Amino acid sequence: MTTIIHAAARESATLTAKPIRVSNRWAAHTLNFFMVFGPGLIVMEADNDAGAVSTYVQTGAQYGTRLLWLLLLLLPITYFVQEMVVRLGIATGQGHAAMIYRRFGDWWGRFSLADLLLVNFLTLVTEFAAIALALDKLGVNPRWGVPVAAVALTALALTGSYRRWERIVVFLCLLDLAWFAIAFRVHPAPGEVLRHALVPGRPAGGLTASWLFLVIAIVGTTIAPWQLFFQQSCVADKRLRFADLNASRLDTFVGAVFTILVAGCMMLAGNAAFQQHWTFSDPAQMAVQLGGLFGPFLKNALLLLMINAAVLGTTTISLSSAWAYGEVKGWPHSLQKPIREAPGFYAVYALCVLAAAGLVLIPNAPLQLIILSVQVLAGLMLPSAIVFLQLLLNDREVLGRFANRRWNNVVNWSIVILLFVLSLLLAAQVAVPRLFPNS
Amino acid sequence: MTLTTEFDHLTQEERQVFTLVHPMDDAPETKVNTENLAPMNMTRTVRICLFALRGYLLLMFALLGYRVLQLAR
Repeated sequence: MTTIIHAAARESATLTAKPIRVSNRWAAHTLNFFMVFGPGLIVMEADNDAGAVSTYVQTGAQYGTRLLWLLLLLLPITYFVQEMVVRLGIATGQGHAAMIYRRFGDWWGRFSLADLLLVNFLTLVTEFAAIALALDKLGVNPRWGVPVAAVALTALALTGSYRRWERIVVFLCLLDLAWFAIAFRVHPAPGEVLRHALVPGRPAGGLTASWLFLVIAIVGTTIAPWQLFFQQSCVADKRLRFADLNASRLDTFVGAVFTILVAGCMMLAGNAAFQQHWTFSDPAQMAVQLGGLFGPFLKNALLLLMINAAVLGTTTISLSSAWAYGEVKGWPHSLQKPIREAPGFYAVYALCVLAAAGLVLIPNAPLQLIILSVQVLAGLMLPSAIVFLQLLLNDREVLGRFANRRWNNVVNWSIVILLFVLSLLLAAQVAVPRLFPNS
Repeated sequence: MTLTTEFDHLTQEERQVFTLVHPMDDAPETKVNTENLAPMNMTRTVRICLFALRGYLLLMFALLGYRVLQLAR
């Protein structure tokens, strides 16, 4: 018989708050879910960051709704990958970086950490670049808007309360519901949307190199290395218990579905530009163009959602760096601790945020080069990160009953092979840019 | 998945009252002790694959670095 009751058999002195008692099983299950809810939604929705907004609307603008099927295909992939992280986090109560160090030695530990910190920092620069771009189109001077955003983002994590941080970030995630209103407002053809979401089709111009690399960009945007590190650390920081596994899986699944639907809405916004045969260089420019057609409300909503995406990306990515660094250094690393008890952890977080914001404000900073490097580094890192995750999940000495089953391994190795192929194609394109024809 | 808990011995009536505690208010749970774990035991094949992966990553990083320097000029 399954029961969700926690803690009541223990001495009440070990609890830091009064337990809640309910007499209805469904109410108990629902309440328990909401207590566990958070890390899954946050890790998934924060992945719809500024880079993702750019990639999805660009896809919609170039290919209309024809790549919606890819999002549906990525839903189970992203869920399976993150579900493994949840199991590892709940079973060990440790972060991902610490586990790689302990089980694979110093070389891989240092490599994974250095790569994570580098990719994360470069990604943060792109988040602040998006904030600057959107603020500029909203008529706010980025010279003071970006520093204000950086200070606010730093303050968000410094409250000494995990729960406060989580509630604020979950609220920001739910603001993305506005993407559904935008998708509805731009009047997509429902039949076409459904058909292209369920049936993969050839793009209008055939299978070109630009189509292939947009596909790779979507995969790379939907499954990112920082997510593995973030969710495991988040699960550990929230101190999720063995009995919370199923609720945490549901949280991750709900997050994955929500994120994919929001990503689909972003493509539909881009599809509105496709219908008008518009071209644009960034989502902020598209927002201005669409504003001319659908009114200033839509323009402002798109720009604010772009900022929200960047804010979500910034706080989660900076935290994944701070948690990973703190774990490896053996420093106290918890959002629940006040600054004086975890100075190193908060210093890494603040440094990531403030340095990235500062770099964006430097005139003529090589932002295009940074964006390219982010995509390639993440593409290189992801397959190897998942290989380690897969090996850790087969570590019965550590995980016992939480270890992978045979079907898990079949699914996950298939994902690893797919990601390696895409990673190789991306790496080949960067190494030899003229390897693939442009049309 | 069936979870066994310390409540398994309770009667059906006693089970009708569900007691919930937020994970962060709950007593810490004893997890797997990872502090003294040695590096993972790996088969020769896995070791060779990881060695190849290390080579691949170093090569790709060198290529990327070269390309970034080229673009930066």
